[in-house]
Order: sequence, then structure tokens, then C-alpha cells
Amino acid sequence: MNMKREIEDKKLKAFLKSGQLESPGPDFSNRVMNRVFEEKAALEQVKSEPLLGKGFWIILSLFAGLMAVVFVMQGSGISGGQTFSFLKEVNTSAVTTGYQNFFEKLGAVPLSVAGILLGTSVLLFLEKYLSNRSYVLS
Amino acid sequence: MEQKDDNYYIEKVLGGETNYFSYVVEKYQDIVFSIALKVLRNREDAEEMAQESFIKAYKSLGSFRGSAKFSTWLYRITYNTCISETRKKKQHFTSTDDVQISDEAEEMNLDGIPEENRARYIKEALEKLPEDEYTLVLLYYFEEKSVDEICTVTGLSASNAKVKLFRARKKLYTILNEMLKDELHTIL
Repeated sequence: MNMKREIEDKKLKAFLKSGQLESPGPDFSNRVMNRVFEEKAALEQVKSEPLLGKGFWIILSLFAGLMAVVFVMQGSGISGGQTFSFLKEVNTSAVTTGYQNFFEKLGAVPLSVAGILLGTSVLLFLEKYLSNRSYVLS
Repeated sequence: MEQKDDNYYIEKVLGGETNYFSYVVEKYQDIVFSIALKVLRNREDAEEMAQESFIKAYKSLGSFRGSAKFSTWLYRITYNTCISETRKKKQHFTSTDDVQISDEAEEMNLDGIPEENRARYIKEALEKLPEDEYTLVLLYYFEEKSVDEICTVTGLSASNAKVKLFRARKKLYTILNEMLKDELHTIL
């Protein structure tokens, strides 16, 4: 029985192969290759771009700066007035007052704000990283 | 030009010589397009999805490990791409599964079909098969894929693939017999 089926299969194979398959349009191959070259160019562009963009580094620097200020102002226990006492020697009282007010306020920035900034930076990093990865893999 | 193994072209493409991918496209475009056409039933959509299948294959070429034949891998991408497309479009087929297998379908004298009409007979008979059976026939008889390879492409179990192949062959015989009878009636 199997032998018979094998012979039948061989006959059918030969028969079907004498027919022709459907073909796409004449410029199909060129169109595919054009798309392939476009994909290749896009992929190379993605590869040449740094993984971490300028935006990420700016946000990270700002965050690091802010953390440093918060640490200096709160962690050391020095008040704004003491830290900037040297400014009083300069005869620019308005500027000094402005600076003092600014840094006093900055020193009082709650940690939650720093946390939000940290979270934003991490999210930005992840977004950038994942979008690069998904493009390469898609 | 000497015909090289698929792996030769794949290595070249992976090595940065993208032009070599055109050999792969030329070699497989007919079968990829035929599968797409049968599933999507529209030349325009079939060309688009065939193109999409080649692009997907190109982009994933780095992940092709060579455990299966390249053609099997490519057909699986094609089949899945086309099936996904039909699901996306929520396309429902008017199944051609209404071919009643006749008693005489067990055997068929294929030599009885005149040579000059064979291409037409084959085309028309294949068109009457439902898309899953058509794909099986295409892979098994045209591409000489094994049942295991067919399972890799279609996701069917081996027993299911065998049953479907058996039914597809019977249906083909039934369709061809009907066509021959009709032709004889016309002549007489």
C-alpha cells in the first residue's frame, strides 16, 4: 500500500511540476531590493547614533547638579547665610540677597522633587534605549 | 552562472554584501508569491505581503541559525505574515472546501491529461483547493519538503499534515477527473 502511494506521489510530483507557479510583477525583485537597501541605510544610521542622546546627558547633569546642591545645603547643616557670607563683603547687596534667597529656596527643595527628576531621567534613558533596541530587532 | 547553495548567499549578505540578497529573492519569489496569493486572494495584497516577507527575512537573517533549511524558514515567515494579514483585515474566506471527494479519486491516470493542457489543468485544479491544502501541496509536491518541514512552516502536527495531504491529493484527483470529463463532454 505504501509502495503504491509512493509511486502515486512521485507521479503527482512530476505532473504538478510540469505546471507553473504564479509570478509577481516583473519589477518585484527590484522593489524588494530597494526596500532592503532602505532598511540597511536606516539600520546603519541607528547604529551610528550614540545610544544615549544629548537630552539624556543634559537631564542627568542637571539632576546631578541639583543633588549636589541639595547635599551641600542640607547635608552639611550650613545655612545659606553662612555659606555665602563672603558675598556680604562685596558691595552688591541686591545680588547677594538674590543669591541667598535662591539658594535658600533650592536648599529647601524636597527630596520628592529630586526623586521625580531621577525617575524622569531613568524613564528617558529607558525610552531611548528600548526604542533603539526595538528598531534594530523589528 | 553556477548555482550556489543558499547558505553561500546568506553568508555574503551577513558579511555586508547586501546585493547578494537579490539571488534569494529571484530564487524564491514565485513560491513566496504563490503562497501569499492563495492566502490573500488578491494579487496586489499578495505582492505586498510577499515583499514584506522578504524584508522580514532580511532583517532577521542574523537570527537564522541554519538548523532548518533557509527555504523552510522563509516559507514559515511568509505563511505567518500572510495569515497575520488576513487576521488583521478580519478577512473571511469563502472556503473552497466544498469539493466532494469522489470514489474514483483513489487513482488517476495523469498521463491521460494532454500535455498541451497540463499547465492549465494544474493551475485550475490548484485554485480550487482551500489555502491550507494548497500550501501543503505546494510545499510537498513542488518544493519536495518533508512532512516535518511542512509542520515547521504551517505549525500543523505531523499526523494532521499527513491527513490533510492525503485529502488534498484526493481532492486534486477529483477535480482533475471532473475537468477531464467536462472536456470530453465538450468534445463529444
